[in-house]
Amino acid sequence: MTFPLDSGKDCVRAWEMMPWVLQDSATQEQGAWLENHLAQCAACRAEFAQQSRLRLALSLPADVPIDVDVGLGRLLARLDMPDSQEAPTRQRAGNWVSRALVAAVLVQALGIGVLGVKLWSVGGEPSYRTLSQETPSAAPGAIRVVPDAGMTLADWNALLHALRLQVVSGPNDVGAYTVAPVSSASTAQHALQQLRTTRGILLAEPVAATP
Amino acid sequence: MNDDDIDSDATDRMLLQRMSAGDRGALGILYRSYHGRLCRFLTRLTRRADVIEEVINDCFWIAWQKAGSFHGDSRVSTWLMGIAYRCGLKALRQHGDEPVEDDARHEERSPAHDLDEDRELRDWLSKGLDRLSADQRVVIELVYGVGHTLDDVAVIMQCPVGTVKARLFHARVKLRNVLPSLAGDSPKRTENAP
Repeated sequence: MTFPLDSGKDCVRAWEMMPWVLQDSATQEQGAWLENHLAQCAACRAEFAQQSRLRLALSLPADVPIDVDVGLGRLLARLDMPDSQEAPTRQRAGNWVSRALVAAVLVQALGIGVLGVKLWSVGGEPSYRTLSQETPSAAPGAIRVVPDAGMTLADWNALLHALRLQVVSGPNDVGAYTVAPVSSASTAQHALQQLRTTRGILLAEPVAATP
Repeated sequence: MNDDDIDSDATDRMLLQRMSAGDRGALGILYRSYHGRLCRFLTRLTRRADVIEEVINDCFWIAWQKAGSFHGDSRVSTWLMGIAYRCGLKALRQHGDEPVEDDARHEERSPAHDLDEDRELRDWLSKGLDRLSADQRVVIELVYGVGHTLDDVAVIMQCPVGTVKARLFHARVKLRNVLPSLAGDSPKRTENAP
């Protein structure tokens, strides 16, 4: 901020002091100094006269007629209004904005909800398995068995019953079954040996040992 | 602050205290006491009587609600002017900046008892203020019209004192360049004064 006039230091000081001398907030010393300066400086005298006129003009009462009693009456009536009546007139502009925002949030929440339900209904488990995923754990003591094609169902059932085994899956594409001990009491190792010695069993291998 | 200001502020604080207890009589006294200066202050922002009345009532409605929470960090007059200023700005945003009215309506609204000299003075001032921004008009009114200090104006306008100084400075420079010619005097060029 630079002083607009090509003036001496005293004139700049006088310019800054004028409003405060005019409103009587300057000290007596400041007032006396300004008075002394004005007596010597015609330009500052003219400026001060204009500032005094400005202050006089600004001190005139407002020229827009407003009835104080009517205004006060309206204010008191407003104080008597219940909040519910007061609020709409004062917050109309804000209400539209907040209503629009609430509506937008609700629509978004609804959309997210519908999307979530759709995804949920598609199914949890994917139909593929990656190499990094663990293989589903086989039943403890499970044995993969390939019976001879000529083996009768009755012989197969009798064998399983005798060794206290049950089919947990199969047969697969090559006719292999996965069998597991019915209870933890039966030993898989014993059953495995028995299966291998049984006529009509082409293959018997523990599942855990399969690479 | 002189003795009159101190007395007047003490009275205002007492009225606020009564208002905080629900005394509407105190509200009425404070309302009447500030109505004139608030009207004049707000005419620097808008010329619409309905808007000015609305702003004054908004200001006192807030003062009524917050009278109990006034801690006395500033004078009551500074506090009220600050509220009126913010309400005025809000009204300007809602109603548009209409600080100037046409001459015909101005004639109608001028008080009947206005002397020719006063009318001439108003006209001179009005034309000068037209050259200023709203913030500059407010600073001029608060300093020259109401008599606030720079610190008070900074509190009212919620800005640094430096900003107030700059607004006052630029407003004065503009006025000093236009007011002499508006008064019919021969223009005094800036390089000759002060």
